[in-house]
Amino acid sequence: MSEMKDMILDVVERMLKENVDKDLVDIIEQGKWASNLWGLLEENGMTMVATSEANGGAGGDLEDLLNIVRLTGKYAAPIPFSETTFANYLLEQTNLHVANGLATYMLSNTQAFVLEDGKLSGEAIHVPWARHTKHFVTLANSVDGIHLVEIDLGQAEITHYANLAGEPRDTVKFQNAIVSQVSATLSFDEIGTMTTLETAFQLASMTGAIDKINDLTVQYTKEREQFGRPIHRFQLVQQHIVNLAGETAIALAAFNNITDALLNNHQNNEVAYARIRFEEAIQAVATISHQVHAAIGTTHEHALNQYTRRLWAWRDEGANTSYWTDVVATQLLENSGDRLWDYLTDTKNTVIKL
Amino acid sequence: MFQLPTVQFTKEQEQFRLEVRAFLQEEIAKGTFIPKCDSWLSGDDPSFSRLIGQKGWIGITWPKKYGGQERSTIDRYILTEEFLASGAPVAAHWFADRQTGPLLLRYGTEEQRELFLPQIIKGDCYFGIGLSEPNSGSDLASVSTRAEKVEGGWLVNGQKIWTSNAHICNYMVTLVRTSPFDGKSKHAGLSQLIVDLHADGITIVPIKFLTGESHYNEVFFDNVFVPDNMVVGEIGNGWTQGLAELAYERSGPERILSTFPLIDELIQELKRQNNSEGLKQASKVVSRLWALRNLSIGVAQLLESGDSENVAIPAALVKALGTKFEQSIPEITRLLVQTYPTLDATRKIDRFMAESILHAPGFTIRGGTSEVLYGVVAKGVVTQ
Repeated sequence: MSEMKDMILDVVERMLKENVDKDLVDIIEQGKWASNLWGLLEENGMTMVATSEANGGAGGDLEDLLNIVRLTGKYAAPIPFSETTFANYLLEQTNLHVANGLATYMLSNTQAFVLEDGKLSGEAIHVPWARHTKHFVTLANSVDGIHLVEIDLGQAEITHYANLAGEPRDTVKFQNAIVSQVSATLSFDEIGTMTTLETAFQLASMTGAIDKINDLTVQYTKEREQFGRPIHRFQLVQQHIVNLAGETAIALAAFNNITDALLNNHQNNEVAYARIRFEEAIQAVATISHQVHAAIGTTHEHALNQYTRRLWAWRDEGANTSYWTDVVATQLLENSGDRLWDYLTDTKNTVIKL
Repeated sequence: MFQLPTVQFTKEQEQFRLEVRAFLQEEIAKGTFIPKCDSWLSGDDPSFSRLIGQKGWIGITWPKKYGGQERSTIDRYILTEEFLASGAPVAAHWFADRQTGPLLLRYGTEEQRELFLPQIIKGDCYFGIGLSEPNSGSDLASVSTRAEKVEGGWLVNGQKIWTSNAHICNYMVTLVRTSPFDGKSKHAGLSQLIVDLHADGITIVPIKFLTGESHYNEVFFDNVFVPDNMVVGEIGNGWTQGLAELAYERSGPERILSTFPLIDELIQELKRQNNSEGLKQASKVVSRLWALRNLSIGVAQLLESGDSENVAIPAALVKALGTKFEQSIPEITRLLVQTYPTLDATRKIDRFMAESILHAPGFTIRGGTSEVLYGVVAKGVVTQ
């Protein structure tokens, strides 16, 4: 953990608290985004946390960065923070230059793009924020293998789509477009590691949203009165509060454990376990929070939907639960000699650097 | 929402884990014990307790002057996990190790520590915890077993029930009323006494459990004399002292791993069948276990750092969530593989299924019902 962590997170949380309200989050559904907020974070070096000094970085490590992503999730900040910083993280880890300006990425489909003589052709769907960003980082097939490439989105044909929360998820099409940078060929293990990191970034946003939903819901039970008393006094409502607290505590602890594991190179399936467990957490958190908020929570007017709709959208993006249960099942079969307890407590150092 | 610390085990701790595991595997191979589910309640085996006492593995966090090792709470956590994961018979010394030792170290007299701790550490001395009574379950402050002051000590009359393993215990830390019940401050007037279970006036009646075995007991007190030097802490302070034990009681790995031997067998069976679809389902169980373990270890780390103030709510939450998880294991297992649960089955998974099914209802009751825990957590969350 970086010594700056607490300071960085205090600064970022204050910026988000002061600048992001319900109306600002809503602008995303009008096709706009919070460029001022982005500028503020950029000015303060937050978009370059965990980037090396050689690449113009501002210090801080991956744990710091993932925690900032968690906070952008907690405030539903309408900026491509996770996308830009993760795209840059991929570039840096594959010895490419970080992108200057807003960036996005797509890793899900290794077959989407073909690279030939430095030119990229192909199409990807559900690319986050493509219409607002400048650089696109993706995997591409060439005759000698799979590479990570960076390409200018100015050359792309972009069709606008949005996810359940109204966040931009565009179709991006290239035809013989010139790539800016190409990495060396990547092994399947390296691509697997990229997917692990992608999921870690997604879990960070999800953790923030779950935390916020818990806050909103507990607060609501204190303010809302029925039968002459605040509803948190009713035992059946208390049961909801505890189940929600349980899911939130599990999400926060899972997130802290994966950042800890990633930072200490003790990676032993933590991201897989967390993602699989988050599937249940998201389902429970969304159901409980809406039940407690009752009718008002089902309106666009109330802030709750900005978080529940994001969770419902995010859980089907990137490597989903089915991908990760498959990873765990395959590993269990391959390590047929090990008992489950050996497997679960094995913390042999696994270098996750690409 | 509260944040719990994370723990990265040190190389020495990893080594310790493997040392304990190798020892237990060897003992299983030698036939010293047969792994069981819920072995911390049902696996009472004094000879095994003495065996691990010789290894120095009882009271490992306690001061060296009483025979302890002064090791960390995390070391104890690892040790406990290994015992439970291998289904080792740790029930005899369990409560003395988990609760009585820490209680005496915090509130006991020097005389009590010197008398009991070395014997507990050797695996020779077992304690029961006398809390519930026929009319005092969740409403524990309503206990009516009373102790009356007499010359040189106290005269105890009344009855305890659901006392785990009292029939093999030497002593019982007993919660008694030392002054009459006062509706206005119902937690006042309670005290903790160490009762010699072989004293005159004690009658122990085992209760037949769902499995046909006896783990719980009724304990009757008929003018039982307890000398003054067997009072724990202060007279009238029993409720507060008892609360301090709860974080230890509620948050440990035994609230997650009681049915672990069954999970292990389930995975083995699915691997044998090359059943990847079943393993995908089972990976959800593994993920839940990992997620709960993070919370439980986080609470252990809070205890290690001495942060006892912030421990009560997460500890209650760990027990509520963990016991629900361990209770679910037989229900999940039977839908993934073919089983036929019987207690005397030769096929391991069938026996573990039977043990898990029959022990499962108790998980969410013993040590504080889920309903009581939910109340504690809800109150804590709302006032935060």
